[in-house]
Amino acid sequence: MNLMTNILLNVIIAFLIGSLLFGLQRKIMARIQGRPGPPIIQHLLHTLKFFIKESAFPYTAAMPFYIAITAMLSMIWVAAVIVGPVTGGSLLLIFGIYAVHKIVEHNAGSSSGSPYGKLSCVRAVYSAAAEVPLFAVLVIIYFKTGTMNITSLINYQAVHGPLLYAIPLAALMFFILILSKAPYSPFAITKGKDIVSGYETEHFGLLRGYLMMSESIAWYMLLWVFLTVFLGPISIPVYLIGMVVMSSIIAFINATTPLLNPNHSIMMQVTFAFVGIVGSFALLMI
Amino acid sequence: MNNISYLIYIISFVVGSTAGLVLSYKKYTAPFVTKNIDVVALILAIIGWVLAINSELISALVSPVITITVGIFLIAMVLGMRPGYGRYETVIGFAISALIWVGTVLI
Repeated sequence: MNLMTNILLNVIIAFLIGSLLFGLQRKIMARIQGRPGPPIIQHLLHTLKFFIKESAFPYTAAMPFYIAITAMLSMIWVAAVIVGPVTGGSLLLIFGIYAVHKIVEHNAGSSSGSPYGKLSCVRAVYSAAAEVPLFAVLVIIYFKTGTMNITSLINYQAVHGPLLYAIPLAALMFFILILSKAPYSPFAITKGKDIVSGYETEHFGLLRGYLMMSESIAWYMLLWVFLTVFLGPISIPVYLIGMVVMSSIIAFINATTPLLNPNHSIMMQVTFAFVGIVGSFALLMI
Repeated sequence: MNNISYLIYIISFVVGSTAGLVLSYKKYTAPFVTKNIDVVALILAIIGWVLAINSELISALVSPVITITVGIFLIAMVLGMRPGYGRYETVIGFAISALIWVGTVLI
């Protein structure tokens, strides 16, 4: 297949599946909390709706940064799709993209000039201190397999079995990282409802549409990386089932836990990261 | 090719859900309280689940891509109805389809 067609195909699939999984999460959370909940396609319809709404720009916004940041978020996650499902490239690039995502969260908040955005901007830096160590899971994977290339990791697991059984604490660390990016997560301090919608609060219309689209792709990509890196060579139906199962587990956690305050959130994530890194190295040495 | 067929399935799900949502809001003006089973939705759910899960049964006549696409569309139409509606029909449709699958594939 032509490379551009392959990229386009994978980006559309990532966007649609990511949106549907977010919708599924909201539905499951609602059912657990005794509410009917919105339809599964609600998140997708919500995203598409913003593309036909009028865009407004706050008087306090720092132009053109305020607009450019949404394009940047879209571009980095499209790049993640190219690095992941399309080319099977390096996990280090995915790590880089995730680091840029944290910077985008920070700058989207600060560029709007809104006090809610600015609080979210501070929290983005704060949470990066915990989420980036969680991404140190890559080091453990490297020590175990000797590679950070996604294609090589799939081949490694085809021979030696899934890494989920070999380095379970690393898988737990990555799961906590994914949980941190879920809406309504106990660790979602950058988008806590105490600060309205966090860094997205002052992005309206088309700009919000791009932010939501990028977040759907990001969700798909994080789940894809987890399933690929820890389960190895699996078919598309298994990917879909795995993503639905993981989103359902995360929805259950989100529905039954409160949003932690920033200090507790960071300390809990750092604790998971510490236990995961030390425990994994201990297991590797045994 | 594999990726394209999955994209078709996803689009079929999205279109089916949207159609189900719009039509159910026209059909039912009240929220889900009476908890009756809608016969039309039940038939659509049964046909949809059977086509999606047991597409191999008629693969000699119709391509599985077409049967699964139509099946997912019908499943999504019932599953995507306004909150509350369609859930009993979905469970019954899935159960019947699963029984047929167990009967034809496993036994």
